[in-house]
Amino acid sequence: MPQDVTVPKLQFLVRSLALRDEVTPEEQALIEGMTMRRRLLRKGEELVAQHSQPSESCIVLSGFTAREVLLDDGKRQITALHIPGDFVDLHAFLLKVMDHSVVALTDCEAAYVPHRELLRVIERSAHLGRLLWLSTVIDGAIQRAWITSSGRRAATAHLGHLICELYLRLHAVDLARDGSFAFPVTQVELADALGFSLVHANRTLQELRATGFVRWKGSTITIVDFDGLAALSQFDPTYLNLVKLPR
Amino acid sequence: MPRYFIDSSDGNFSHIDSEGVELTGAADARHLALDALPDMVREVLPDGDSREFAVCVRDELGKVIYSASLTLAGGWREDGKAEPQDGPLLDL
Repeated sequence: MPQDVTVPKLQFLVRSLALRDEVTPEEQALIEGMTMRRRLLRKGEELVAQHSQPSESCIVLSGFTAREVLLDDGKRQITALHIPGDFVDLHAFLLKVMDHSVVALTDCEAAYVPHRELLRVIERSAHLGRLLWLSTVIDGAIQRAWITSSGRRAATAHLGHLICELYLRLHAVDLARDGSFAFPVTQVELADALGFSLVHANRTLQELRATGFVRWKGSTITIVDFDGLAALSQFDPTYLNLVKLPR
Repeated sequence: MPRYFIDSSDGNFSHIDSEGVELTGAADARHLALDALPDMVREVLPDGDSREFAVCVRDELGKVIYSASLTLAGGWREDGKAEPQDGPLLDL
């Protein structure tokens, strides 16, 4: 049910921006001062619907969400995974009509920011405007990495690459430590994110486990040997832009 | 819904499905099993000229109810020397 956000729970967003550039106290106040409504979503619910024309954009406050494209025969491709702090639907601000939907992979909490509020913030701070722009540019960089994995990496390297990426993204907002993070998705969802058949996704998981670089128990992934996994997957974290630079 | 177990092998790595998946019926299980074959073939650059990729579906009692395989059969062609059993002799 929609609720007003009285206490902004935007620490993950601010942390994610501040990782890539200095965020001044004034800029932080601008972000935290945005009018927004909070929504709790159950696993499987849509945050944003395909072909809708949202007048607001949403930030993930907690839980995992995915961008997905559905085909007429029922097949689904998950084209992106989003974690807390991701301004997952900044895209709608400029796209106007959604070409994909955003769905909750777990129970999650999202904040919806009206586009007029975003406009106000960007007009007050061109620098914040650039940082928000950066977040969509990084979404694009992640998409490139995923396309490369889909088209050219071996299955174990594809899965390994995704695990390295998720670990670094979650670690950056303090949601992963000591090689471990919660990743409560089903094998069907994993297969849809990798573009594999379900059986092949399960095989690949077994093969990757056999390398000893990763343990995957229930919904917890533990990377035992990050360097080994990164070497197997040819993982180069440059695309995640986890460096603080003037932007 | 009944649970089906889908095992697979690419001729090198065999995966025995211990978790299984709930499906509406055997036809869906067959579809899932067949779906895995091209994925497995795409992964493997064979070091030899013959290889078998196989899947099978087990029911809840462990009985194999469906199986399928794809076979790679390759061979160098030397005019007049290759025998049919060495590989496909297609006039392309």
